[in-house]
Amino acid sequence: MIEVQSLTFRYEVSERDALRDVNLTVPDGAFLGIIGPAGAGKTTLLHCMSGIIPHAFPGDFYGAVRVGGLDTADNRLTDLSRLVGTVFQDVDSQIISSVVEDEILYGLENFGVPHEEIGDRLTAALEQVGISSLRERTIASLSGGQRQKVAIASLVALRPQILVLDEPTGELDPFSSRQIFTLLRTLNREHGMTVVVVEQKIMLLSEFADRLAVLNDGEIVKEGPVRGVLSDIPLLERIGVNCPRAALFSSLLAEKTGTEVPVCVSAEEAVEAARRVMG
Amino acid sequence: MIRAENVSYSYPGNAQTVAGLSFHIEKGEFAAILGENGAGKTTTVKLIDGLLKPTEGKMTVNGLDTAKSRVSERAAQVGFLFQNPDRQICRNTVREEIAFGLRAVWGRREEDKIRTRTDELLERFGFTGDEDPFALSRGQRQQVALASTLAPSPAVLILDEPTTGLDYRECTRIMDFIRQLNEEEGTTVVMVCHDMEVVLDYARRALVMAGGRLLADGPVREIFRDEALMKKASLLPPQIIRIAGELGEGFREADDAETLSSLVAAKAERRRGA
Amino acid sequence: MTDLFQYVPGNSPLHRMNPVTKIALTLSVCVAAFLTDNLFVLLALILFDLMIGVAAGAFRKALAIFRGLFKVSLFLFVLQALFVRRGNRLLWIVTDEGLSTAAGVVLRLLAVCLPLALVLTVTRVSDIAGALVQVLHVPYAYAFTLTTAIRFIPQFMEEMSGIMEAQTARGVEFDTKNIFKKLGLILPLCVPLLISSIRRTGATATAAEVRGFNLRTRASGYKKYGFGLVDLAAVLISAALITGAALIP
Repeated sequence: MIEVQSLTFRYEVSERDALRDVNLTVPDGAFLGIIGPAGAGKTTLLHCMSGIIPHAFPGDFYGAVRVGGLDTADNRLTDLSRLVGTVFQDVDSQIISSVVEDEILYGLENFGVPHEEIGDRLTAALEQVGISSLRERTIASLSGGQRQKVAIASLVALRPQILVLDEPTGELDPFSSRQIFTLLRTLNREHGMTVVVVEQKIMLLSEFADRLAVLNDGEIVKEGPVRGVLSDIPLLERIGVNCPRAALFSSLLAEKTGTEVPVCVSAEEAVEAARRVMG
Repeated sequence: MIRAENVSYSYPGNAQTVAGLSFHIEKGEFAAILGENGAGKTTTVKLIDGLLKPTEGKMTVNGLDTAKSRVSERAAQVGFLFQNPDRQICRNTVREEIAFGLRAVWGRREEDKIRTRTDELLERFGFTGDEDPFALSRGQRQQVALASTLAPSPAVLILDEPTTGLDYRECTRIMDFIRQLNEEEGTTVVMVCHDMEVVLDYARRALVMAGGRLLADGPVREIFRDEALMKKASLLPPQIIRIAGELGEGFREADDAETLSSLVAAKAERRRGA
Repeated sequence: MTDLFQYVPGNSPLHRMNPVTKIALTLSVCVAAFLTDNLFVLLALILFDLMIGVAAGAFRKALAIFRGLFKVSLFLFVLQALFVRRGNRLLWIVTDEGLSTAAGVVLRLLAVCLPLALVLTVTRVSDIAGALVQVLHVPYAYAFTLTTAIRFIPQFMEEMSGIMEAQTARGVEFDTKNIFKKLGLILPLCVPLLISSIRRTGATATAAEVRGFNLRTRASGYKKYGFGLVDLAAVLISAALITGAALIP
């Protein structure tokens, strides 16, 4: 569980708060999506959840963030990292090895996993992420989507309770983006990992996440189950956040027919809703 | 305007990346190139720009054979906006940045003309000119890159995933600007884009690629409605097109949420009346 | 060009050799090349390099490295040939000693660069770090810095070629044949390159930290780097190279 309480943060070099009085609870086993326009503080919030802030980036930090009961300000980043795995926005700067298996070994070695266990953990992580066939490949020979999976596997191997990812599909095509989200869903549902994702691709996010938090100008302006958040289309429009066309369709349909139409996030749901309205 | 005749390209020492491309894009068109990663989209636009020369076949832009002229010579006619603005931006102020590209194309002796044009673009994009590009947000840097790409008024504008890393508002701003340019000044636009909603909203023609070959070429909506084709190219059509297609006869023509919801509401109304 | 310094998987004797031995062998070639002034010994060293390339299954890559070095070599050769004034004049201001010095410089450059590049072709960066820490007791932070720098080379080159491509597209004459003009155009671009590199280094450091960088000790490494017959052979060869270079006049 992640608990963010009255969190205000300002980077050392900055003149304005990156986050202002943020309160947010991410329960165990949740799949939370964070959305918001550029500069809203999404990455900052993610870094606060993983403890990178305040440890790696200096600044004024007020309030408290607790991860799995540990206060991030009072615990070392290394200890927090056992609980939270972070995938950075630029995967290429995160990967430090030239071969896939070495990348996954790295964290296992550092965190002192007994050597007789390491082999199994390595194999298991590759399998969970579905990249067993890439084990001996060089990183340079992999596609963007495959590299993203390697980065995820290198964290999954450490068996964190929570995985936080910063725009994991930013550079990927629609097909690979969907694959990454499918993988995150598997990790969330079958392996019980709590997943927090910052993402611009709202359509994909709404389909896979179960909760959304909307950030604007350093504040959380809305938080809750996906459909609840997407039902407030005027708010999303006002702050300049895209909304899945299916959700737009369902809200327009409700308005025009004067009937109750559930908020739809996928094309399939919208088709069903339309058929029900037409009888 | 852009004419590809049986163009193939292979990176040195590799298998062919694109093969047998033939298409013809007229002046004033707005075309999108679609396909999954590795389909050859970026290679194709680089071939159009002349950054790559065909290993076989012939590519002509505005009547000039790309293999026989230098890219830097053609920069006045063809503008290329890259995915990452940081590779383009190299000056300390926005004004200098725009002027830098103009100087490269027009030459240093045209300072007056360069100043006028720079002022014009600064105003159009809402910059004062004194901003430090590296202190701007990603979306604003992309606008600076676009402004300097457009500065020499190229007849052809190539966009390689111009909206990557931008939020919705920034994306809309950039794309609206490009549409305006296309409609008002007749600039030919060729765009590589992964966001099918953006393609639907802005492009009129789509070229679909897979495995380095051209699979299909036609009006955007027709292309998106061809389910078999979309599947073959590993593409997912925009949500509204999928919903409309699924609802079948009478709805298929709708391509935005407004129209489609009206059609559905009207049918529901008729049902209730009957 | 960007793949010149990258690891290529394989199972050749060179791949299996202890990374420390590989580094020692490379350094021996360098030492030998600087000990000798004999052009034939330098040629023999280059031949040896190429043989190593063949043994590593990377002959074509070795040739590619040669090709990459060709322009620089040519430039150095002309410079040396023109500026060394000792010896007998052969043609205009070019002397015989000038020519032989120039040839020496170029051959030395080739003899030294090739094995340095080849080591990276046959060794994973994590093995270089691992072996340095385990065998030579190098502090991990230093080993990490070294391997990160190595990892950065291809990324740096890719970024540079991306920048040059973007600049060419906007009309900067990078496609000029004039190498001096090209250099003049490249220099202003070092700023964006530097900025992106610094940004990247910061991210790399943080990413390593959250994966337990600070906890790593000499005992952390999962792989063990032992020595075998190949290593013994390499040590003998190294000794022979240095002795040969020192003794042959």
